Amino acid sequence: MARAFVKVGAILAVVALFAFVAAPARAEQHAGATPAEMVSSYQSLADAILAVKKTEDHLVRSILGAAYAHAQVEMGRARAAIKANDMKGAQAALENVAADVAQLASEGDSAVGAVRKRLLEGGHHHNADGEQKGLYDPGFVVVTKVAKQAFLDASRSIGQMARAPKADALETEWAKVDATWKTLQPAAK
Amino acid sequence: MGQGRRDLEDAPAGREVGANRVPVSARRSAAALVLLIVIACAHRGVPGGMATGSAHPDPGAAAPGGASSWFHFVDVAAAAGLTRPYLAGRPGKDHLLDSAGAGVAFLDYDRDGRLDIYLPNGWRLDGDRVVERGTNALYRGRPDGTFRDVTAEAGVGGEGQWGAGVVAADYDGDGWTDLLVTNFGRNLLYRNLGDGRFENVAARAGVESPGWNTGAAFFDADGDGDLDLYVAAYIDCTLDDVLRARPTLDWKGLEKVAFGPFGLTGAPDRFFRQEGGRFVDATAGAGMTDLGLGFGFAVRAADYDNDGDADLYVANDSDPNYLYRNEGNGRFREIGVWSGCALDAGGAAQASMGIAAGDGSGSGRLDMVVSNFAEDFSTYYRNLGDGFFEDASEETAVGPATWKYLSWGSAFADLDADGDLDLVIADGHIYPQIDRHPEMVGTYAQKNLLLENRGGMFADVTAAAGPGFAVVEASRGLAVGDYDNDGDLDILIGNLDAPPTLLRNDTPQGAWIMVVPEGPAGGPPPPGTRVTVRAGDRAWLRDVAAGDSYAGSHDPRLHFGLGGAERTDSIEVRWPDGATVTLRDQPVRRIVAVRRPR
Repeated sequence: MARAFVKVGAILAVVALFAFVAAPARAEQHAGATPAEMVSSYQSLADAILAVKKTEDHLVRSILGAAYAHAQVEMGRARAAIKANDMKGAQAALENVAADVAQLASEGDSAVGAVRKRLLEGGHHHNADGEQKGLYDPGFVVVTKVAKQAFLDASRSIGQMARAPKADALETEWAKVDATWKTLQPAAK
Repeated sequence: MGQGRRDLEDAPAGREVGANRVPVSARRSAAALVLLIVIACAHRGVPGGMATGSAHPDPGAAAPGGASSWFHFVDVAAAAGLTRPYLAGRPGKDHLLDSAGAGVAFLDYDRDGRLDIYLPNGWRLDGDRVVERGTNALYRGRPDGTFRDVTAEAGVGGEGQWGAGVVAADYDGDGWTDLLVTNFGRNLLYRNLGDGRFENVAARAGVESPGWNTGAAFFDADGDGDLDLYVAAYIDCTLDDVLRARPTLDWKGLEKVAFGPFGLTGAPDRFFRQEGGRFVDATAGAGMTDLGLGFGFAVRAADYDNDGDADLYVANDSDPNYLYRNEGNGRFREIGVWSGCALDAGGAAQASMGIAAGDGSGSGRLDMVVSNFAEDFSTYYRNLGDGFFEDASEETAVGPATWKYLSWGSAFADLDADGDLDLVIADGHIYPQIDRHPEMVGTYAQKNLLLENRGGMFADVTAAAGPGFAVVEASRGLAVGDYDNDGDLDILIGNLDAPPTLLRNDTPQGAWIMVVPEGPAGGPPPPGTRVTVRAGDRAWLRDVAAGDSYAGSHDPRLHFGLGGAERTDSIEVRWPDGATVTLRDQPVRRIVAVRRPR
């Protein structure tokens, strides 16, 4: 880690030195202005930082998408099992749905939570402004507090249904999950 | 007994402790050997006819906020000989280890029918210098209610490790209670040799697991008849980290305090499967990998979903709590979030420290109260059945009553034997710096809480519970047990930089019975055993746990407050393997041992 810092520092120092040496040649710049090359480098770095943030958004959406897709598959299994009066099969499928919806609520499982914790420990808050406004839990990227609560409620309800599955009640709960999921999708441009 | 009800004052005097063996019939097998041992019927202040339930007709002193109480507790620790202080790092609590303290345990290591006490100890530090390594303490109970320090002769001083927790259980099934001492360092497994001495077998048993170990629980995870082990761990750090630590965390812009747990890496909990006296790490195979690296503090095994096998709950500091549901065949599934007991009602992870498990609502299911950090509710998780929970902290009033306290060890216990479970919670802040700011909520040393169950609502009766509850310390571990065998539950509390508190219960009591389920060869109650007592139209459930509260162990005997009942209709004992014995029509105010049929 320390070696990496030394390398980055050395590169920046060389860039800075080069920029200052080159600076007198630029007549249009007033004395003491930040050299254009440094600004340009910073622009590139900003692009990278913003891209990383966007990538984080995409990655978390992918994690959520995988959980949602898995929940859909398990819902299909649950429907089929209920129809076939296979209560054991329905129970297993419904508990998997409940676990998937809980993952939506928690924006990933506990392994993802550990990563989020690490980012928070490093001072990274993806939605710092949203957290300030009370819209997001610390470190959450996509799932709002409102959505989290809706997913939590639904996950427990679906889990409880597993012991005595009923098709109608299940569809009602799933509709809530679906509706909440839709609120988290980016608006079409 | 200054706070007692007038109608209880003329109660008959208690009888001498005695021991009789009375044969009883067993439901399961005519050949079953059932020994009903009436160990004691002595009781101080037994009421002649107490109303069942929580409606107290003649309450004693009034507590602030309108709550009143006849509870009366007196701290008798010093008089009883419990004098060894817990050494807790540096005065400024520069590292979280300085302020974590340890659990405490009631046990009966010598099988004399009286409770003994085990207290882990920490270290005293001065800056980055180790000044003193504390010695753990084993106190042997005497018939007069005092204790004798037998640590040295028993060989259980802790070997210079920094003690964090203690679990009392007969892990090897030889009929003698052993001790697992969890440490910041290597764990110790003190095997009871049966002659008053112990030997540390942790290395050869495979449970040393160096690190910052905290709460632990012995339980039969796979139904094979022996006890397996789960050990929670807190933070991944070294002794050097601890010694070099200085308060660097900016706390509310007022003070620099000990850093963490955010910013530090959690240490993984571990599950060990027992194979003939050796413990093998089976964490991954059992489905118990601590993927979130939660900051683990407390562990409580119990059959939360009433399906006949042992599940496991883990309280994590600042992370979602875990509920491992037993899937059979030694496999578990972590279902905390979707079962409703990982987060609070608002979906937030809390800074959880301790666990109380018990049938607080009289539903026949085990609720949980998870104690949490200050300026936050301790959370009452009501069991909805099938292992699902809801946060009932507001509804039960437990949340508001605990909000300003930083809470640790806790227990459900029927402290007045009126037929419902009250709550007792040990409190104490982790930042001594708070005392420089009277404008802040709370103080470093705090009073402990007594919440009386009044029909499912919990009233804070602390201020009217006698001088014992006026004691103010930075408390951590808590265990309940009847150390003087008088039929009521007393309370043992561990304190930082101070000797423990032993709260003798002088509260007027309703009828009670204490049930001691034994294995086929006798010995301490096997963890996971459940007992249901019925009288009239009421039923009471208790279970045996080895590992409870905050990294400690309660009296393993099961105490039932029965209110006004004069006899029990039935006492049903169900051992972890499903064997069941039912005793009919038993008199109350006795300690009854029930041996499992072979």
